[in-house]
Amino acid sequence: MKSVLHRGPLAKLGDLSETRYWVYLLLFPSLILLLLVVAYPTLYGFVISVREMRLTRPGLNGWVGTKHYVAMLSDRVFWISLKNTAIWVTAAIALEVAMGFVAAVALNRNVPGTKLFGVLILLPYFLPNVVAGHMWALLLDPRLGVINDILVKVRILSSYKAWFADPATAMAATIVVEAWHGFPFFALLFLAGLKGIPEDLYKAAAVDGAGPIRQFRLITVPMLRTVITAAVILRVISLVNSPDLLLVLTGGGPGNATQVLSLYAFQTAYREFNFGYAGALAVVMFVILMVFATLYIRLTRVSKD
Amino acid sequence: MLKTSRGRRRMADVLTYAVLLTMTFFCLAPIVWMFLTSLKTEADIVTSQMQYLPARITFENYRAIWTQSNFPVLITNSLVVTTITVVICVLTGTLAAYAFSRLSFKGREKLMLGYLLVRMFPAVMVIIPLFVMMRTVGLVDSRFGLALAYTSFLLPLFVWMLKGFFDAAPKELESAARIDGSTRLGAMVRIILPLARNGLVASSVFIAIAAWNEFIFALMLTTGQGSRTWPVGLQLMVGEFQLPWGVLAAGGILSILPVVILFAIVQRAMVQGLTAGAVKG
Repeated sequence: MKSVLHRGPLAKLGDLSETRYWVYLLLFPSLILLLLVVAYPTLYGFVISVREMRLTRPGLNGWVGTKHYVAMLSDRVFWISLKNTAIWVTAAIALEVAMGFVAAVALNRNVPGTKLFGVLILLPYFLPNVVAGHMWALLLDPRLGVINDILVKVRILSSYKAWFADPATAMAATIVVEAWHGFPFFALLFLAGLKGIPEDLYKAAAVDGAGPIRQFRLITVPMLRTVITAAVILRVISLVNSPDLLLVLTGGGPGNATQVLSLYAFQTAYREFNFGYAGALAVVMFVILMVFATLYIRLTRVSKD
Repeated sequence: MLKTSRGRRRMADVLTYAVLLTMTFFCLAPIVWMFLTSLKTEADIVTSQMQYLPARITFENYRAIWTQSNFPVLITNSLVVTTITVVICVLTGTLAAYAFSRLSFKGREKLMLGYLLVRMFPAVMVIIPLFVMMRTVGLVDSRFGLALAYTSFLLPLFVWMLKGFFDAAPKELESAARIDGSTRLGAMVRIILPLARNGLVASSVFIAIAAWNEFIFALMLTTGQGSRTWPVGLQLMVGEFQLPWGVLAAGGILSILPVVILFAIVQRAMVQGLTAGAVKG
């Protein structure tokens, strides 16, 4: 039995939980926190993008209107980054969807040992970008890289190649690394989607004489559509937003061959302390993401009807 | 007829194993290679003839990263930041997840969507204003400040994941407790939380791993020894001191060790929570 003194405040809180204020009390802490670390900074971000703000030159300060946005139009690096972002995200996600799908179908057959395979295939997704980046930098190193060694031994390459230093291969190499890191995410979601398809549908289709390919086209793909849409959107957002891997692997180089918007914005803020321009770049990214998400969801809905 | 269908099934099984083995190799080989590199002497790494297995196993690289750099400080900072992040998310997020899962109120759907949309904001867009704000209140280069910044993207994730686990806990037990005279608070603490214990652990581990791995916020918001986390420290070491491959590999292995262990322990519940949240959303 607890003492009366101890029961006092708890009982009061218990009484409070019966009132209609309870739900607001539950939501209050997280809501305040998110307003403080997300909503306010986001609004402030819009403000920064129309101001001059350079930490290195505190005297330069004040409202500059659309100056940064106008400057962006004639900024060569911005356009290169925009194009690279599109290529990088599209290619990486196409590769990840394909690999994730194959992995999910294989895992869904539940052959003995599937559980262990599932865990091992998922592992890269949980590893830090910094380590993933250096791990692959080591594998692809122009002097000590084991991949170079193997490719030379099987005579695909005649000599070791500096994958990340050659503008022709840098982008492709970073895409492979990103696919390694990101495909387990799709495997995971697709597998969950596949498990949600009732077995009866396939049986009925088989009775009606549909072969594996038609079953796949007429049952699997339509039933997975929501999962695919959700997974692709989540991944596009996270890829467009995170410069980590490219920062570690290439720093946007050689030249600007692997420069993407998120990295460009980050470097503008981190290296040059030009917060105003970096803020404007971030706002543009945000708008692009919003437009993409809206269009994408609408298009996938339309094609379903 | 029977024979061909059995033959077809066996073919499919063989193909399945081929796919699974190839993919597992693709996923694990880089990690294994880094591990092997961390056990090699410098002479075995920098060779004219590729040395696949270490000729002599050495722990020198591990000793070097641990005693000759500030790696222990970095790891400690990461531990502190991760812990604070998890504590904040569990304290505030559990309440919100419970409210979303069990209570009906005006604007519930909209608010839930709001928690989901937060993930759309570019990190860079939040980082810059956060940096300016934190500098004003003196939270730059503070472990608490960094943890606060992490809640910006981890708290919504935590709430969504945990809500899924709360949804899965049967409502009947809670109703029974309420009929027996328990308050809502009592039912939440005595019935729901114990029922969703695994989910709570899985969601916490998931955000702990994310906080432990985070790089960009940490790079921007930490400027010195006081709060620098291991991903930033390791990256700076590579840039500044031309860290030898063996030492870098050892650092990498040490820093992913906690992730691999945690992942191995709770992967089942974590996978459940991740997929439930994403498939519904």
